Amino acid sequence: MTTQSNVDEVTLSIWDQVQYTADLCVKCNICTSFCTVANVTDLFPGPKFVGPQAQRFRNPHEISVDSSVDYCSGCGVCTLVCPHGVKVMEMNAKARYKLYKEKKWLPIRNRMMGRTDLVGALGSAFAPIANAVLSNGPIRQVVETVFDVHRHAAFPPFSFETFQGWCKKVHKKSKLVSDKRVVFFHGCSINYYEPYLGKAAIAVLEHNGYEVIVPEDQVCCGLPLLSNGEFDAARDKAHTNIDSLVKYAHQGYRIVGTSASCTLSLKSDYKHILDIDTADSELVARQTYDISEFLLELAEAGTLKTDFNPIEATFPYHSPCQLKTHNIGFPAIELMEMIPGVTIKHMQADCCGQAGTYGYKKEKYQIAMDVGKPLFDQILETGSKVAICDSETCRWHIGKATGAKMIHPVELLAQAYGLLNYGKTTKS
Amino acid sequence: MNKYDVVVIGAGLGGLTVACQLAQANKKVLLVSSGAGTLLLASGCVDVLGFQPMDSREPIKNPLDKMATFLTENPNHPYTFTGQENMETGLNAFLQLVNRSSLNYQGSVHRNWLLPSGIGAIHPTCLAPLSLANGDLSKGGTMLLVGFKELRDFYPMLVSQNLNEQKLGVQADAVTIDAPAPIGGNMNVTPIELARAFEKADFRREVVKAIKNSKVIKSSGKGYDRFGFPSVLGLNRHAEVLADLEKQLGKTVFEISTLPPSVPGRRLFEGLRQTFLQLAKGRFLMGTKVVDGTIEKGRVTQIRIDTASELKTIKADHYVLATGGIFGGGLQTDLTGKIWEPIFGLPVVSNSDRHTWFADGFLEPQGQPVNQYGVKINAQMNPVDESNQPLSENLYLVGAIIANSDWTRGRAGEGVGLATAAAVIKQISG
Ligand SMILES: Cc1cc2nc3c(=O)[nH]c(=O)nc-3n(C[C@H](O)[C@H](O)[C@H](O)COP(=O)(O)OP(=O)(O)OC[C@H]3O[C@@H](n4cnc5c(N)ncnc54)[C@H](O)[C@@H]3O)c2cc1C
Repeated sequence: MTTQSNVDEVTLSIWDQVQYTADLCVKCNICTSFCTVANVTDLFPGPKFVGPQAQRFRNPHEISVDSSVDYCSGCGVCTLVCPHGVKVMEMNAKARYKLYKEKKWLPIRNRMMGRTDLVGALGSAFAPIANAVLSNGPIRQVVETVFDVHRHAAFPPFSFETFQGWCKKVHKKSKLVSDKRVVFFHGCSINYYEPYLGKAAIAVLEHNGYEVIVPEDQVCCGLPLLSNGEFDAARDKAHTNIDSLVKYAHQGYRIVGTSASCTLSLKSDYKHILDIDTADSELVARQTYDISEFLLELAEAGTLKTDFNPIEATFPYHSPCQLKTHNIGFPAIELMEMIPGVTIKHMQADCCGQAGTYGYKKEKYQIAMDVGKPLFDQILETGSKVAICDSETCRWHIGKATGAKMIHPVELLAQAYGLLNYGKTTKS
Repeated sequence: MNKYDVVVIGAGLGGLTVACQLAQANKKVLLVSSGAGTLLLASGCVDVLGFQPMDSREPIKNPLDKMATFLTENPNHPYTFTGQENMETGLNAFLQLVNRSSLNYQGSVHRNWLLPSGIGAIHPTCLAPLSLANGDLSKGGTMLLVGFKELRDFYPMLVSQNLNEQKLGVQADAVTIDAPAPIGGNMNVTPIELARAFEKADFRREVVKAIKNSKVIKSSGKGYDRFGFPSVLGLNRHAEVLADLEKQLGKTVFEISTLPPSVPGRRLFEGLRQTFLQLAKGRFLMGTKVVDGTIEKGRVTQIRIDTASELKTIKADHYVLATGGIFGGGLQTDLTGKIWEPIFGLPVVSNSDRHTWFADGFLEPQGQPVNQYGVKINAQMNPVDESNQPLSENLYLVGAIIANSDWTRGRAGEGVGLATAAAVIKQISG
């Protein structure tokens, strides 16, 4: 993203460029009209107030005057709809960072939520116990009281076998070898909770003739840390990933992921929020693709396999906020509709409410439910038992609220290709 | 072969309607927009021509009656290039398009609705959603205007007194009620928030109860022909909300446009966005800026867009530029008095002396000179240079970016967008 500022862009860091876009605000309130949070609660006065307006009072050397920015969910619709180029969401993320930095302490809960990888590793190792704990009402009540994690928030069960474990044990030995190669960035959700999705993705890529490389030194993308106010820790993750991925990027390989939020971190957040702006990070960003974006490009070049078995059904589809910020449109729709018989009904909602880890928090859970309400109603109205979404925490949240079975677009493709048994352990 | 038949740049009313109609005609269309357009600020109505001469206080009944004199006085207005036929085609196509969704627009180019504005002035407009059209002042009779203490941008008393003073044949009373839960007491409420509250049956029931218990109804014992509300009667379920209120109150219910953000504008934006997404399988890049475009030998060969990770080149057979005026971002300005079109560098008719940009009065009936600035076109809707030579045969302009399309002059507003849209569709579809 370039910033549309009249100030001398050459002399400003990316960080400062974002802050200066406050000057482009004409107070038209279009962002307020779309804000998913401000329109369900008065705890958040809206993006215009908290973003460009409050920005004038945020002197780097003085204490923040208002903490309502903590209620911004970071869905980013404000930045998308602003016709004047104000980077509202990015501005808010930085203001939250400053807020937490001043407090000098961060709730343990935020530290926990930021470390999806650590929590995931522990959870997987003790999956049966951890899952029993997570689905136990009284224990969740205690967790809520002690850690402020809402008792009804949707946590998926941990997988006993991690995706990385499977890759090392099984995939490495049996994988397709080809001169067409892609790199798979799986993220924490696939590694610890949804290995079946990673397997479906690999199956679809291999079916199309690609050798899939799964770097063992990839780590959490850092987004959970970032959105819980821990920028420095997030930067460490970012650098580890850039170092891991850049060697493949240099060879011209694309980096694909199924999580719209992880891939967005690689494409844009490292630069625009974490202020990492190097030749390596630039190259990794350019080579990173959402998996549907990648597959649709193959389709457009005429090289995507179309040996789909028909699926006669209409599916509700929710496009997550993070995907919208990729600026690639909604490639999954066109892709899935290539399957004979499939009709995709695009739900009319800017956010499901979950926004990463936002909806897990005790004080924000109800907001997340209220934000998602119009989406939940639309999904229920379709009567479909299955709904589709490209982002993991959104899937869990929507699934819990509607009772629908939530799948990723690539799972539908895998089914149509007849590949659901690939790697055996798939979701039933 | 290019990847797309048409790329449309801009998601104001102009860009959205062109994109939807071309997608309907089975063209492969990509819609790219750096933000939401001015629909979110405007009334949601389509104004074709409201006043002629411009300082007249008498609103026009039939826009076509005054068109010839309007164009004699404003020979460079976009309507000169579109002609009357495209005006009619554009409005009819729009009605067909929006009425496919749950929106319900009423009217024609042959007649202006005379609607009460948010300060009780007269807003002459051709096409309006049913809920606003229900407020047509030429119907006369009595009306009760209802406001909410929490909605600080709408004062029913101001509207009613201004309406009564103008002796238009309507008799208006006003009442301000406390909004029921969950809005009650929230003095920071947005029109959208209120609109979402109206989608709940309990909320509506309490509102109706408060109206029926209000002093103005109880003490006078008077019935009213119509009930007017600020335009917050529901968002996605607006039709249902309107019907239910009419049932409970037993009378016609109408909406009056409020200050931005505009709920009827949002409904229209959502209706068109959803229609386009469904027709074009999701080919809408919202929040994506077009950074530049290349014109070679009289044809646009490519544009570049700003994605999350890189500048991406896009090629199409035709390009539609619907980026609006200064407010929409289609024209950029700086403090030295420079005005430019940032994507293709098209020549802009303007005055480089910044002092000449503005008239003395803010609400000058002749408008602000700066709003006249824009890019010149020909009858094919192609941009032209000073000597009227076309600059690109596969680039077409729609809406407020066109020179002399200032909507404040005579209130020729979204009508310009629809007329130019119709002309462009004719060019592209042949
Ligand atoms: C406050 C206000 C109230 C109004 N009220 C009324 C009314 O009640 N009735 C009426 O008929 N008219 C009204 N108008 C006038 C009317 O809205 C405009 O004249 C006209 O509709 C402009 O529409 P447009 O499609 O040309 O452009 P806009 O609506 O301005 O949209 C321009 C679009 O282009 C996008 N864009 C700009 N630059 C780029 C770029 N580089 N890359 C990608 N996208 C870009 C913008 O993000 C935006 O989506 C009002 C206008 C304003 C400002």
